[in-house]
Amino acid sequence: MRLLHLLSAVLLFPSALTSFVAAADTPESVQLDNDYDESLLLKTLPGNSVLASFRFVSNGTFNDHHHTVFPRSLAQILEHSNARELHLKFSLGRWDAEQWGAQIWDGHTGGGTGVELWAWVEADDDAAADKRWTTLTNALSGLFCASLNFIDSTRTIRPVLSFQPEGHHANPDRLHLLHGGLPREPVCTENLTPFLKLLPCKGRAGISSLLDGHRLFDAQWQTMSIDVKPVCNSDGSQCRLQVVQTVDMVLDVERSLQRRDSPVPKPRPLDQLNCDPTRSYGSGDNCFPQSNLADLPWSLSEIFGRPLHGSCPLGTTDVCVVAPADRQVFASQASAEIKTGDKRCYTLPQKSDFDLLLPRQSPPLPIEVTPPPLYASRSFTGHGQERGGVQAVIRNPSPTETVKMIYLESLPWFMKPYLHTLKTTIPNSLVDLYYRPNLDRQRGAHLEAALEIPPNSTLTLTYDFDKSVLRYTEYPPDANRGFDIAPAVITTDKGYQIRTTSLLLNLPTPDFSMPYNTIILSSTVMALAFGSVFNLLVRRLVGAEEVPLRGQKLRGLVAKIKRLGEGKRKAE
Amino acid sequence: MKLRITTPIPTLLFTLFALLLQLSCVHSQHTSNWAVLVSTSRFWFNYRHLANVLSMYRTVKRLGIPDSQIILMLADDVACNPRNVFPASVFNNADRGLDLYGDNIEVDYRGYEVTVENFIRLLTDRVEPDTPRSKRLLTDDRSNIFVYMTGHGGNEFLKFQDAEEISAFDIADAFEQMWEKKRYHQMLFMIDTCQANTMYSKFYSPNILATGSSKLDQSSYSHHADNDVGVAVIDRYTYYNLEFLENNVKNASSKHTMKDLFDSYDTKKIHSDPGVRTDLFHRNLDEVLITDFFGNVQNVETDGVGEDEKWKVDVSELARLAANITSPKKQQKEIKVEELKGKAEKKISAFKVEEKASWTQGVVGATALVACALAWFGGSFMPK
Repeated sequence: MRLLHLLSAVLLFPSALTSFVAAADTPESVQLDNDYDESLLLKTLPGNSVLASFRFVSNGTFNDHHHTVFPRSLAQILEHSNARELHLKFSLGRWDAEQWGAQIWDGHTGGGTGVELWAWVEADDDAAADKRWTTLTNALSGLFCASLNFIDSTRTIRPVLSFQPEGHHANPDRLHLLHGGLPREPVCTENLTPFLKLLPCKGRAGISSLLDGHRLFDAQWQTMSIDVKPVCNSDGSQCRLQVVQTVDMVLDVERSLQRRDSPVPKPRPLDQLNCDPTRSYGSGDNCFPQSNLADLPWSLSEIFGRPLHGSCPLGTTDVCVVAPADRQVFASQASAEIKTGDKRCYTLPQKSDFDLLLPRQSPPLPIEVTPPPLYASRSFTGHGQERGGVQAVIRNPSPTETVKMIYLESLPWFMKPYLHTLKTTIPNSLVDLYYRPNLDRQRGAHLEAALEIPPNSTLTLTYDFDKSVLRYTEYPPDANRGFDIAPAVITTDKGYQIRTTSLLLNLPTPDFSMPYNTIILSSTVMALAFGSVFNLLVRRLVGAEEVPLRGQKLRGLVAKIKRLGEGKRKAE
Repeated sequence: MKLRITTPIPTLLFTLFALLLQLSCVHSQHTSNWAVLVSTSRFWFNYRHLANVLSMYRTVKRLGIPDSQIILMLADDVACNPRNVFPASVFNNADRGLDLYGDNIEVDYRGYEVTVENFIRLLTDRVEPDTPRSKRLLTDDRSNIFVYMTGHGGNEFLKFQDAEEISAFDIADAFEQMWEKKRYHQMLFMIDTCQANTMYSKFYSPNILATGSSKLDQSSYSHHADNDVGVAVIDRYTYYNLEFLENNVKNASSKHTMKDLFDSYDTKKIHSDPGVRTDLFHRNLDEVLITDFFGNVQNVETDGVGEDEKWKVDVSELARLAANITSPKKQQKEIKVEELKGKAEKKISAFKVEEKASWTQGVVGATALVACALAWFGGSFMPK
């Protein structure tokens, strides 16, 4: 025990020293950010929802053995697998663009449903890159408690247009971009736990103390993302590795407040319902509930279920609220407010709890929502178990601007698209098309299309595909549920990224008791065949007239006895 | 001459005695504790199996086994299942006093990863080279292992994921291989499933203590249901095991023995006949502490003679370590195997699909057509 203490003291001391020295001798060359920053952005959304965006930025060195705030476990994995830039996303739910508008951070923190991972791996050739990618996915699966090791060659693609490296790389020619996703992967507390452990304050202080799995996974939409990239200052002399961890979620205020009162959501009694009197059938006992006529009051500790434990002493912490300028916001004492437009930011106290309160606002204030550059949805068409079609509907709401975008689709190998059936409803909208056909059990199809959508119009992209029949052992244990197809990724030329929802593909599913039925049926046939042949061989066939009639023997016996008796009498 | 002969005898005797002493102590010696906790059932209505396993997870964690030495296998996700009214929570009691999922949990194998193959690979450590440490059972011949399994089973089999089965023979062979590879010191095998006692009937490796919830042709029953969760939340056998552990084994220094635990089993409460197999385990159960399997080894440092010496040894050891730490560059040069820093070869890529109507294509097409026509005409004019 003592040895451990001494060891930790020795290990910690030089690291503390280096960070101190670094801060002291490079004051002017630090356009590079601080070692650690965290910020929480809260934004009221229409329909009594609140968007909470947590952002943690840590900077560290890559090849050094001293890790101050940069998570060491992650650095080791990156070094071991030669990954130079990494993006990992865990997401649940759907971003309702119609109601909430454009996604925060231009959609760069949001991933596809389940888990999505892409990385730039440095390697000599494709085979080496594949090997390192496998190392990376396996290591990450251990670190984040997710089945990332299932991202094998059938789920990996090399996108051409959609993703560009964000960091400053020394030799970009040697980087291989690999991308994979697991749309079926559940996201839960076991993924949040390692996520929080990467943070310097480990969820004990600062904004991360608000993060509670019980509220995060109760959200309407949530995403956790980890982005690692090297960043250099302007002359490229000093480079550091930056990890940006974000958690974005949309909380339903009404639901969160209900959780506080009773853990089980129960319908409200009739007298507390907000009935719509304009409905003709809404009289007496009937009630047509109407959305809330007021902005509900909420506070940080109420919607997150726990208070914010001061700021993280290892870096700067700030909390900002974006709400209509007229809405009142109360912050707890010992915090200063800085107001810019409809954004209000607060500095946090060091060692005491912090809370924010937004009181009830009736009637609700109109909330301005920035429309996204595109709306997108994707669905299956067709019927039957043999073939089907995919239809992606993409709408450009802008009245003046043409939007250039890239549509990326990564399909599993058992979904075989026909490229000649790829059609767009707007003529000449297809600018470029990249395609890599699937190979059974080896790789999935990869489709990337550069499209142009004129202002105020809707583009429908369709294609047909064939469904493969899997082998008996290739079906998952819950095959009848269907197979999840990864979301399509849409990237506009201005860098905004959206993802469609994942799809559920039904494949022809055998009856899994089939082998047993087959065994039973064939056994029956064999038994019948064997039985009849055996009968023929062993039984002796006798003609009907050859067989003595029934009772003939008895009668013969009786006759004999009679004859005997007669003989005796004669003898007497 | 006489002296020369007699001197070795006492020393020999002494060493023999010391050896014997060591041998007699060897049974209680283990240096680490590991737990393998497996829930093999998929689907929401098997909620109770996950709750069983998570209850055991909380218990071993409470008694000091760290997450790095617990292999938790959950075949399905119930905590964040859309059907769960309490997101990110799993309860094992209708009073919902304790959230088993909590704030800090590490699931090592989950979902489709929980297969018979992975389970046996884990036990025998025959894993893929890239497997991370958290997914491996890194035990040695001084490790005590607690294996807990729950799911749906039958006579000598246990179902995994509702799709495949592990048989009693498979587990027995895997344990034998572990013994041969010196992967455990002692093992406690606990299983809660229908006809559970048949699952350990085939074991033949030494130092395994086994217990199960029900005998052949007997079902294992659930304890009670929570109406808000909507399904049964725990099985009887696990419930009464937990009850004993919660009420009696309060901390890692508890002196309760496995005998106390086994004596607490009550057929009337459990509704089935729990079994215990001790023939492979050569120790008296009233000497085996529950914490030998459920808790972690407690390293206790005693103050006493030679403390100053130890301190000096520690310091010299640290100085050695520090010397290694402060000169990492030398090491780096040895390790780094530099690759060719040329441009990487990238052959795998999606190809560009292009439709070009160039005149050369037209000419080629027309020529081909004309050639075909000529050949046909030529053929029809050929003399017969």
